[in-house]
Amino acid sequence: MKKLYVFLLSLVVSVTAIQAESFLSNVKAFIKPWRVDVHLGYAIGGSAPIGVPESIRKLNKFSLTPNLMLGLDAHRQINDRWGFTTGIHFENKGMSIDATVKNYHMEITRGGQTLNGQFTGRVTTDVTAWMFTLPLQATFNVSNKVQFKLGPYFSYLTNRTFDGYAYDGYLRVGNPTGEKVELGTKEGERGDYDFSEHMRRFQWGVDLGVDWHITKRFGAFADLSWGLSGIHQSDFHTIEQTLFPIYGTVGVSYRIR
Amino acid sequence: MKIFQLGAVGLGMIMMFSSCFKDEPYNAECDIEQVILHSTDAQAVFFNLSDTIQNVLFADSVIKVNVRSTAPLETVTPEFKTTPGATIQCIEGDVKQGKAVYMVTSEDGNWHRRYVLSLVPTMVTVSDTLKFDFEHFELDPTSQKFYIWHNVLPDGSLGNDWANGNAGFKISMGNAKPEEYPSVPIFDGYDGAAVKLTTRDTGPFGVMVNKRIAAGNFFLGSFDVKSALLDAMKATRFGITFDSKPVKLTGYYKYKVGATYIDQQGKPVPGKTDIGDIYAVFYRNHDDAGNPVTLYGDDVKTSPAIVAITKVNPVQPVGEWTPFEIEFNYIKDIDKTVLENRGYSLTIVFSSSIDGAIFQGAVGSELCVDKVRLVCTREE
Repeated sequence: MKKLYVFLLSLVVSVTAIQAESFLSNVKAFIKPWRVDVHLGYAIGGSAPIGVPESIRKLNKFSLTPNLMLGLDAHRQINDRWGFTTGIHFENKGMSIDATVKNYHMEITRGGQTLNGQFTGRVTTDVTAWMFTLPLQATFNVSNKVQFKLGPYFSYLTNRTFDGYAYDGYLRVGNPTGEKVELGTKEGERGDYDFSEHMRRFQWGVDLGVDWHITKRFGAFADLSWGLSGIHQSDFHTIEQTLFPIYGTVGVSYRIR
Repeated sequence: MKIFQLGAVGLGMIMMFSSCFKDEPYNAECDIEQVILHSTDAQAVFFNLSDTIQNVLFADSVIKVNVRSTAPLETVTPEFKTTPGATIQCIEGDVKQGKAVYMVTSEDGNWHRRYVLSLVPTMVTVSDTLKFDFEHFELDPTSQKFYIWHNVLPDGSLGNDWANGNAGFKISMGNAKPEEYPSVPIFDGYDGAAVKLTTRDTGPFGVMVNKRIAAGNFFLGSFDVKSALLDAMKATRFGITFDSKPVKLTGYYKYKVGATYIDQQGKPVPGKTDIGDIYAVFYRNHDDAGNPVTLYGDDVKTSPAIVAITKVNPVQPVGEWTPFEIEFNYIKDIDKTVLENRGYSLTIVFSSSIDGAIFQGAVGSELCVDKVRLVCTREE
């Protein structure tokens, strides 16, 4: 009985090994024409309405946030000029801004209570959005060293915050003729908000970029990713304007095969 | 090189943001912020020259100015300070006849507010005892969210001398029903309707601004909701001008203590029990230089302007209607001329939590008040 088991087990193992070997050789054949690069970049940009509304008067402060990007990309040349690239990026599209607004509509809901009205004063917003991004891009070789790429991207957010506070101003409750409530600058005197949970998990957009292969291994790149989905869920209307993430990334690349 | 590129991209993004700012929008607000009443004979019209400048609370749309009974109103010309760019139009009446209605239109033309300005010739208080029975109340006409009360004036008309903090509660608990506000009427009072004041939880917005409770309050004066968040002590503006010498305050109350006394951070304070507050303050409403004086939450019991004060000490928990009778303790002499010229103000205050002004107390503490009488004497 024991012998039978040993026999069956060795049979299974050998069949699996043979299969694995042929699978592996298939994989090798598949990945052979692919080139693989590691990308490391830094992004600057923001989530902004397309066409700033007149109620946003001034950008007082724009702080750099740790918008790092680490990516592994595979590229396959189809003919002399055209090719295709895809990969997986882990990146942050964050921002930290301070703006002056006038008669800006706000609505905050907390625990079933709603406060809405028109705010005049200053608003600070901090956004963090760590995400995995899958780009699908067509590439075009301008020269041996320079390559343009264009295509859609799809992102899934693993970490999202969108919070801040309205301060140093006043709220007219409901509409401009409603009660006037002054807001101070300190905690407890200002209006804190947190719309993190209203951020979309999935984002998509279009990515336009250029790769510059300086040496065999090292290169530099620049990308502009233009979000076509708002950063908040579509049923979220607290912020009147839809905010689209628009970020420019620059960085270096290293070819690993 | 890299850093330069980085900087260039950043600069580009910022320029992209800033280059698309549009022209400043027109103002949407349409408030009367101040009324200046010019008169060729101001002394004959007003009790105090400072009465010629009336600062208007943003929540108010009725501007009432007490003037002398013999005031030559035809000499009065009002000047309005409105939201910049707003226009004002008299749509009814004439101030020179005592009452006028104005419509203010915002600079952007989209918003309007209606104001009533009235100059009320004021008779001296003739009755020795003022009665406050709290029978006249209604939902706030603009919001329909909470109750406001009216007092009966000597000529039988209704005044707006009683104020409360309900408008502040509305900001934090906008979805509350009128009966869930801190200051509400009850129909089975000691005699007809009464006032019920309850210390309420201000919910998630209250936590956000570290003002976790709202004591039910009720007082002679006005409530300026503008300051409710930034400088809450300034929201309660205590006192109405008063031309008699108050001697005694009587009435009926019931008091129930809420379960857990909490501090400003919302933490229970073991062993501490909430207490209610009933007091009255009589004070000089101008300083020596003639500037108007108003007492606020932070100085209503301590201001040097106070002439007399009295309080129920302490407001004990009682389940049945209990009478109280307290006499004013005068710490300064009354000046008869000043009294006749409405140079003193009076406030009577009821609160369900004595530390409510600093947002400490027990949710559920409840003070009911009815049939309040203020006994006065005429100065000889």
